[in-house]
Amino acid sequence: MSKRILRVNMSNLEAKFEDFPADFAALGGRGLTSTIVEKEVDPLCHPLGPNNKLVLAPGLVTGTLAPSSGRISVGCKSPLTGGIKEANAGTPFAQQLARMRIAAIIVEGKHKGSDFYTLKITKDKVEFTSANKWVGKGLYETYKGLFKEYGDKVGICGIGIAAELFGASSGICFNDPEGLPSRYAGRGGVGAVMASKGLKFIIIDDTGAPGVEILNEEAFKEGAEKLRKALTTHDVTKPGGALNSYGTSVLVNIINEAGGLPQRNFSAGQDDRSEKVSGELKAEEIKKRGGKRPHYCNVGCIIQCSEVWCKPGGKDPVGCLEYESVWSLGPNCGIYNLDDVGELNRACNDLGLDTIEAGGMMGVAMEGGLAEFGDAKKALKLMDEIRNKTPLGRILANGTAFTAQALGVTRVPVVKSQSLPAYDPRAIKGIGVTYATTPQGADHTAGYAIATEIMGVGGTADPMDTNKADLSRNLQIATAAVDATGYCLFIAFAVLDIPEGLEGVVGTLNGILGSNLTVADVPGYGQSIIDVERKFNKAAGFTKLDDRLPEFFLKEKLAPHNTVFDVSDEELDKVWGA
Amino acid sequence: MTILVKIFGDLRNKIKDEKPDGALPLNLYIKTENIEYIRDILQKISIEEKDTSHIFVNGVYAGFNKKVKDGDRIGIFSKNQALLYKWYFKREEDE
Repeated sequence: MSKRILRVNMSNLEAKFEDFPADFAALGGRGLTSTIVEKEVDPLCHPLGPNNKLVLAPGLVTGTLAPSSGRISVGCKSPLTGGIKEANAGTPFAQQLARMRIAAIIVEGKHKGSDFYTLKITKDKVEFTSANKWVGKGLYETYKGLFKEYGDKVGICGIGIAAELFGASSGICFNDPEGLPSRYAGRGGVGAVMASKGLKFIIIDDTGAPGVEILNEEAFKEGAEKLRKALTTHDVTKPGGALNSYGTSVLVNIINEAGGLPQRNFSAGQDDRSEKVSGELKAEEIKKRGGKRPHYCNVGCIIQCSEVWCKPGGKDPVGCLEYESVWSLGPNCGIYNLDDVGELNRACNDLGLDTIEAGGMMGVAMEGGLAEFGDAKKALKLMDEIRNKTPLGRILANGTAFTAQALGVTRVPVVKSQSLPAYDPRAIKGIGVTYATTPQGADHTAGYAIATEIMGVGGTADPMDTNKADLSRNLQIATAAVDATGYCLFIAFAVLDIPEGLEGVVGTLNGILGSNLTVADVPGYGQSIIDVERKFNKAAGFTKLDDRLPEFFLKEKLAPHNTVFDVSDEELDKVWGA
Repeated sequence: MTILVKIFGDLRNKIKDEKPDGALPLNLYIKTENIEYIRDILQKISIEEKDTSHIFVNGVYAGFNKKVKDGDRIGIFSKNQALLYKWYFKREEDE
């Protein structure tokens, strides 16, 4: 069996397999989702109408024994940004899909009426059943019920109440290895697109799956071993390293010390109360409470930055509290208590919300007077507005920009309507250039691959230096390439310092594809993905004027550095040229 | 005349006569006498350079040869807390 595409037409509830086009052979993950969206979706279509398509694609090496490679990309036209969207997640679902040799699922059309459906995929059959009984229910209860119904070995992809409202802050939820609804392709309202089709769940049972085809086993094995060695020896990625010990939240104290951890809707860059929601404190609490740390989001991950946060006594597990979520629902809302952050994160997972967008929304809601900064109880009540599908809940579910507009708030931390993540661009200028210029809308992961040497830039830069176009461009290109492979972005730390690690990555790709790629081919590959995304956005009406940060970042000084975002428009335009 | 030195992560256990409060950083107020550079602070509190990762002086990513003065705020992170800065930015030094 060769790789296939599963095309799902929700208008008439038909699903059929198609051959995987030969010219797509080297595409996976983000490379494949963005290519299909650009090729098949009218850039001017309504994101929630029948002409938008939702594409899910595991990475090229996903489903194999290559370490830390269980990522899946989700692509569509975004109802949040109005441009192309790729959001990705690490989950066993990605590996199961890849082992079924399904390179992509393309969901198109739109089911008439208000019914929701489950699509179940097994080796021999694809079938639709009604999902109406789960409508309006929280995803913790729902995923528990689905595993009971379909068996504990299936993978689940689904949407929650926020998506049922067509909220532009709704994500697509995948199960973690414990079956918790906690691994999200969160950004850009991808959940609302899935909901608009009438699709509530995709259940995959990979029993009897043929596994991923590897054309050159020797090259693959050699590459995987090189990468494994790099990951297990590097300080950041090895067992006992930064990510393994503290998770991504190790960044809370680091970015707060750097004066770039946004507080209370981006009104300050440092507050020592943030130390109470740090990765160090969280790791200690998880140990005390009987949660899990370290933990993996997909089988075969060496880095294991994930965790399972829970209530004392190991009760009511939430899943992973990532750095971005802890920040958005914590310091960004003036909330400095891990129990409160945990419950807000639980609400996001339960409702099917992107935690970054939800935290950004809550920040402007607090500034707009719906709650006081620091009032976690009121914040949870606002989450219930979404749960109860009230008119206010519908506003909140549409994210930061929409809520700010409804409330008359003018400090609105968004680019292309997408909420900024946990690094203030006034203190760390390079990430601001990425927020402004990525085709995705404000997104830290779009330029997070720490890949200066890979791209030949060399050296490192001053965070206050405003000449960041080259750095941002190269990071974005490298990230696009990594997002296509299915590897976790965090492998970048190890492969940067240990050249054999990068050779290993390329080796595994050659093993899968039977190709002779070299490290020098990486930039061109990444650039081609960005080109496709920018082509779509241009046709959707975006211009260079959309590649800007909101006005307040240019005018309001951020303490403690007391600086504004002073990268010139000319520098921003240099990222991609005129 | 003091400098606030915040010690993070495992480094806290290396500071003699100080008991960390849970997982919160250790806040030391160090007198500025005989202290000119970051390296002097490390020497004073018996922390080896190789055991550190990120160091911030008033929010600026800094190296061992960065000058310090009265009223400064210094953050020192343990080796296993290296994330992000080491790869993005250069350390500011005065010597």
